[in-house]
Formats: sequence, C-alpha cells, structure tokens
Amino acid sequence: MKLELGYIHIKDIQFSDVSKVENGILYVNKEEVKALILEDQNFQKADVDLAKPGESVRIMPVKDVIEPRVKVEGPGGVFPGMINKVETVGSGKTHVLKGAAVVTTGKIVGFQEGIIDMSGPGAEYTPFSKLNNLVIVCEPVEGLKQHEHEKALRFAGYKVAAYLGELARNLTPDEVEVFETPTLTEGLKMYPDLPRVAYVEMLQSQGLLHDTYVYGVDAKQILPTMIYPTEVMDGAIVSGNCVSACDKNTTYHHLNNPVIHELYKEHGKTLNFVGVIITNENVYLADKERSSNWSAKLAEFFGVDGVIVSEEGFGNPDTDLIMNCKKIEAKGIKTVLITDEYAGRDGTSQSLADADPSANAVVSGGNANEIIELPPMEKLIGHVEVADVIAGGFDGSLHEDGSITAELQVITGATNEMGFNTLSAR
Amino acid sequence: MIITNNDWVLKKYGDKFNIVYVDGTFKDVLITVRDKLHLGHELLTHPLGGSVKPSETPYKSILISDEKNNINFNSVYMIENAIITYHKFNKEKLKYLDEKRIEDLKLIDLTVLESALNK
Repeated sequence: MKLELGYIHIKDIQFSDVSKVENGILYVNKEEVKALILEDQNFQKADVDLAKPGESVRIMPVKDVIEPRVKVEGPGGVFPGMINKVETVGSGKTHVLKGAAVVTTGKIVGFQEGIIDMSGPGAEYTPFSKLNNLVIVCEPVEGLKQHEHEKALRFAGYKVAAYLGELARNLTPDEVEVFETPTLTEGLKMYPDLPRVAYVEMLQSQGLLHDTYVYGVDAKQILPTMIYPTEVMDGAIVSGNCVSACDKNTTYHHLNNPVIHELYKEHGKTLNFVGVIITNENVYLADKERSSNWSAKLAEFFGVDGVIVSEEGFGNPDTDLIMNCKKIEAKGIKTVLITDEYAGRDGTSQSLADADPSANAVVSGGNANEIIELPPMEKLIGHVEVADVIAGGFDGSLHEDGSITAELQVITGATNEMGFNTLSAR
Repeated sequence: MIITNNDWVLKKYGDKFNIVYVDGTFKDVLITVRDKLHLGHELLTHPLGGSVKPSETPYKSILISDEKNNINFNSVYMIENAIITYHKFNKEKLKYLDEKRIEDLKLIDLTVLESALNK
C-alpha cells in the first residue's frame, strides 16, 4: 500500500471573512466554524480562538489535538468510520496542513488536566506550542451526560479539522513524502538480508474518557490485528482518550506516529518494516492475556526478528506492556519498549507498575512526576475556572499571580510514549 | 465478586452481583482484595486504573472470582505491586474534592468496572 503525503506548510493562522490558505497563512472564517460545531444539538454555545507560537497564551483543559488533512486521491476520506465511510484508507494522496492544528477543550468531568502553554518554560514541554492552533471551546446543553459530551466534542474536533483540511484540496504541496509498505511476501523478497521489524502499538481502551477508535470501532472490542502504517496517516486510529495529559496519544500523535515515520526512514536500509500490529489495554485480566497472546502470535506469524512496542497511559497498561514483552520475547523475537515513568518527584521510585527481566531494552519518555513551574500567561483559552481545580485539587497548585506549580503530567504530550516529544531518561 | 468503596457500584449492582462494600479508602479496597486473594480467590480485573491515578481518585472497584482455589501467585504479585504503586502517589490532593468531582470520579470508576462486567 502506497500513500503520498503532500505537506502545505502553515506559518500563521488568522481570522478572516473567507476560509482559505494563501502564502502559508491559514485564514479561518470564525462564524462558519462555529456554525459547524453548533450543527450538533448537544452544544448550546461554541467559540473558537487562535493560539500561535510565542504568544503569552495558556490553553486548558485540552482534550484532543488534530491535524487538518484531506484525501485528494484514492479511496475513502480522513477519519474513516467516524466522519467518513468505512472505506480502507492509506493509499493515494493526502494533503496535510503542516504546522496547524485543531485543539479541543472541554470540561467533561470535574477533574482536569491538559495544559498547552504557547510560550515560556511550559511551551518547551509540549510539541503543540510550535503549531498554529485553532482552539475550540464548546458549552454543552444543560444535563448532557458525560459520555455524550465527550463524543460530541470528539466529533466537533474531527469535523473542524476536516473543514480546514478541505482548504488544502486544490493546493500544490510545498513538500511531498511517499510511504509504501509491500505485502509480506514481496517484502521478504525485496530485503532478504535485512532484519524484519514490526511495530506493536498499544491503544488505551478502558471506558469513559479512556477510549481509542479504529475505523470507528471502540478498540476495547477488537482482537489485535494488523494495519498498514499508511492507514494510520489517514486517520484510521483516533483518540477519545481524555485522561493523563502527558502520556495520552492525541489524534495528532496517531496521524504523525513517530515510530512509524522512523521505521519508514530505515526501511530498506537497516531493516525491513513489515507493518503495524495494533492491540488494546483492557481492564479485564483475561482480555489482557488474550490480547498479548494475539500480538505475540501475529509477530510470530509475520516472521519478524524484532518489534517496537509503544504503550499508552500508566497503571494497568504497564501490565499489558510487560505481557506483550514477555510473550513476544518468548517467541525468540527481540523487543524494544517505549513508555514513560512515574518515578516519584525525585525520580528514585520504581518507574512502572510491572516489570520483567525480558524488558531489557526500554526507552523512557520522561518522568511524569517531575515538578515544573509555569509562569502566568496573559491570556487563557478554554475553561479558565478549571485552573482552580488544578490548583486546589489535582495536579498542582495555582498561585495568586496565575503561575502554576505542577507535576509534568498536566502538560499535553510532555512524556508521550510514542517518543513524540524530546524528554527522556538514562 | 466485586470489592468496592464506590456506593454507586453497590446501588447499581447490589442485586445482581456479590458485592463486598468497603467503607474506606482506595488502599482499604486493595488490602481487602489482597486478603481475599490469600484465601484463594483469583483477581479478574487489574487493581490499578488505566491512567486515573490513586492520587486523583479515592474510588476503586475490583472484580475477583467467587470461587476459591489454590492461591494464584500472579494475582498476589499484581495486588502487591498495586499496593506499592499506591504508596508512591501523594494523596494530599484528594482532600479538596467537591461534590461534583466526587460524582464524576464515582462515574469513572463505575464505567471502568462496567467495561469488564459487560463481557
């Protein structure tokens, strides 16, 4: 399967009468976006705002970040099974507004995380401070249940991202990248001497606010399966995961999965990238056993020499991570794990909630318990009142001047377990 | 059998399942489960959350087998690890919960449990 990604580089975002992309500037008609959001009767009010790199802006509480894309050639549309038909995506051409993102914010439940600072020390910890963001702030109708609110907000994000993506349909990309995965047998013939490597991607799948969707299916209901890496680039996997800001995989992360991109870079040079195995992280222990059995079985069936496993979240997913590692290693296949750490504020506690001697190659995305200081920002976008919740209650403390002392875990994408960010540990 | 300190679970499933209601903390639930595992019950759901940490919620519901058998060492290993992990988090923040947040946390615990119950 072959996909061409055409990047249109966005260096600024502005409101305007007409939505369009011109000379690298993304112009957005605010009223059209608001009307699009309010098509959903679950919302009584919608607002949109801009957040650009370097501004004194804090966005919170962030639920998802989505990159605008549009399919210009080949079957299907972006986010299949969600806002487009369940067509197999991942081939043809897709245009990307590179440097832009849609950020959804929402007060779905009373405890809140998810900060993006556009400048200052906090900006260093999140990759989304470098993007030109269109931020969506929606108010649900009275009495809307939490799961309906979550779903409505999730879809608002996809719809707005697709609306912006559509602006790129007839543009000539500034840069083009081509990704191709051959069939198993073709791949084997093409690179007989290179080590065969697959990527095992673990998807958060535990219930309200903890879910991931694959072609519209709740990942907790899937058996582990294979997916072409280019399908992921067209939005076959989307995030409904709202908890644990630092180490959740937003839809942006899925679209730009760095493990997939790095494996493609080495494909045909140092290794033979066979494909992606997706698996879930369920609550029920029998599910964990079944899913890890299955991912090991698929790795064996693909005849790979090694796999990279990436986790999402912390706590019971650590058990899935270790089960995947143990069972795949037991097949004689080498594993490298990507995770993050909750090693206490001084970094000396045990990092994961589970461990095994076979987990002997582990990459860390950083220590989520590390304390950081976030200076006050001139402007807050989102639900400002939750600053007090973060302050009084959960992940830090808000000071009178608006500064926040908090654990790193409040920052969106800070310790991403796909290795999307720059933190690590030795 | 459900071991829980979440009264919403008791209210919703009290008639359908064998429930041990613990009038106490997240840790009290873990300890109650550990003691049951020592008697030969088997752990059916993971004792830790999927990202909501012990520092963020006081509520926990865990599913174990009704039947007793020989001690399942995997179960015991998992609960002991969960207790160690529980101690790693600072629970100071839980003092500031208001009614709305308490309800949300009970709901989250309930839905996570239900993702295992509805099997």
